[in-house]
Amino acid sequence: MADVVLQNVSKAFGATEAVKDLSLSIADGEFVALLGPTGVGKTTTLRLVAGLEIPDAGRAFIGGRDVTLEPPAARDVTFVFQQYSLYPHLTVFENLAFPLRAPTRRTPEGEIRRIVTDVARMLRIDTKLGNKATQLSGGQMQRVAIGRALVRRPAIALMDEPLSSLDAKLRSDLRVELKRIQQELRTTILYVTHDQMEAMTMADRIGVLDNGRLVQVGTPREIYENPVSAYVAGRLGQPAINLVPRALLGEWNAPFDAALVGLRTEHMQLHRRSKLRATVDGDISAKVKRIEHLGDQNHLHLAVGQHDLVMLADPALPLDAGETIDLRLENPLFFNREGLRIV
Amino acid sequence: MTSHTDPAGLVSLPEGHQRASLPRVQTGLSDRAIAWLFIGPTMALLLAINLFPLLWTIFLSFTNYRANRPNAPLWNVGFDHYVAILTDPDIWLRMQATAHFVFWTIALQTVIGFGLAYLVDRKFRGHGFWTTLILVPMMLSPAVVGNFWTFLYQPQIGLFNYVVGFFGGIAPGSFQMLGDVTLSPWAIIIVDTWMWTPYVMLICLAGLRSIPDYIYEAAEVDRASNIRQFVSITLPMCMPFIMLAILFRGIENFKMFDMVNLLTAGGPGSTTELASITLKRAAFEAWRTGYSSAFAIILFVAVFGLANIYVKTLNKVKAR
Repeated sequence: MADVVLQNVSKAFGATEAVKDLSLSIADGEFVALLGPTGVGKTTTLRLVAGLEIPDAGRAFIGGRDVTLEPPAARDVTFVFQQYSLYPHLTVFENLAFPLRAPTRRTPEGEIRRIVTDVARMLRIDTKLGNKATQLSGGQMQRVAIGRALVRRPAIALMDEPLSSLDAKLRSDLRVELKRIQQELRTTILYVTHDQMEAMTMADRIGVLDNGRLVQVGTPREIYENPVSAYVAGRLGQPAINLVPRALLGEWNAPFDAALVGLRTEHMQLHRRSKLRATVDGDISAKVKRIEHLGDQNHLHLAVGQHDLVMLADPALPLDAGETIDLRLENPLFFNREGLRIV
Repeated sequence: MTSHTDPAGLVSLPEGHQRASLPRVQTGLSDRAIAWLFIGPTMALLLAINLFPLLWTIFLSFTNYRANRPNAPLWNVGFDHYVAILTDPDIWLRMQATAHFVFWTIALQTVIGFGLAYLVDRKFRGHGFWTTLILVPMMLSPAVVGNFWTFLYQPQIGLFNYVVGFFGGIAPGSFQMLGDVTLSPWAIIIVDTWMWTPYVMLICLAGLRSIPDYIYEAAEVDRASNIRQFVSITLPMCMPFIMLAILFRGIENFKMFDMVNLLTAGGPGSTTELASITLKRAAFEAWRTGYSSAFAIILFVAVFGLANIYVKTLNKVKAR
């Protein structure tokens, strides 16, 4: 376990610049998630830390040591791949013991047995130790892969969307377990995901990547509440933030250079029209287009002029499609012409 | 509403008239009949050229039939041929020669073929070109291979003798690959290995290509040395492919005839007389059709049995 620092690293594959001038430091025992859609350089960043790629520029440090040019084996890192990268002809036990049997770090057989059993119990696969890796379900296989990354107590465990190939139920279970294990072992983890839920629930800090650049790093709350740009704002929040042109809001008191307004559910107060309540100045009239019932909440699809908005609504609210309502805005996010936040 | 109108509004018919359906007439064949129609020709062909000859051979193996005397009286000899073959020490020598040939060709082809595949699998400049070049021998006809290796093995002008003589420091004419009792079994093994190693390489290459990169990357991160990666990833994951190559080559070489017949015709003496050459001689030189039928059945049962045991093992390896 150690702190990990990337200093101005860049990596290009031919003409494609996968990672551009990226700097990131991860504290000892911290869980950092890299968030971004497919192809923004998340996996490349991870592989640069692992040593599976060598950066074109910049340096990498693990525990204060410059490891930029060192091979993966010398870096004391572990890696969980998106695919189940188990050794198929070995048993679960042998798969978990594999990293401990490296010649550079001889571990006595009794010690191996103890560590493997411990980790297996933590991951709830201790009954499967004798099984062949291929005789497991997808969730079990990925647990073994995660276990293999933890048995060695690495300086940093690197995880490349380890849960993305699992079904939703299993994914949410493992999410909780992974966080629990990380806290128990105090493992430093750099975790790549495109799933905002995983990043929000597990990470101490989230790094948002856009086109090879790290655009914002912060706690999940910071990223959610104070995004630096419309792009970052769009990464977190379910339903996604509504980005509408400033002009749509009419006489709203917005900064002069605001071009886009970001509206999440908490920025909009919904009022039904009735005889008792007059429309207040500044309220925006919206038409309910469609209501999606999700059980505990509703997704409300609204039309404001030419624009569609989606917001959460209390399912108890007796709304009908076609109804016209009023929206009152409260501290929405403003972005300028370049999509950068105006505070 | 008393009438339906077609979309164009051109025809209108009173209700009930336009959907007067006729009783459906059963035309054509039933599904089952069509199925038989499709597989019939294949079945007939298989029966005629595979099953019938097999049954006929079994029948002949119990008779004194000779194909060059089709009108001679036929009588049942029971298991006489089988007993004669299985107790004949000469036949067992032929079987040993066959086993020697099969064992060494497989051993050499597997080791060299896998080695070549391992080398070619690496991405180096022009690896596609080298792969194609290595595959050339396999694409030749065994008759062509047999004939030109006869020239290569020629003691005075043969390239093989020249090269061995040059590097071994001996006179090229001092040894005869095809005429020597100890060298000739190896001469045919060398030619078969030259011709069929590419085939084994091709199958092994498919095996190596089937191993995903991330398994190696995982092993690298797990600090496995190159040797350990080879032993615990490459070899076991490639094993089903290697075993398949061995199966194919084993069955092929058990019935090897054409190439060896052209190279040595079983000689010198009968040192390279493989089972299938003995069989051909009994059948078409001595015209002992009944006897050779019995021999053919024995060989068939042997190959079939061995192949079955082998396939069972292969499935076990695959299931790991």
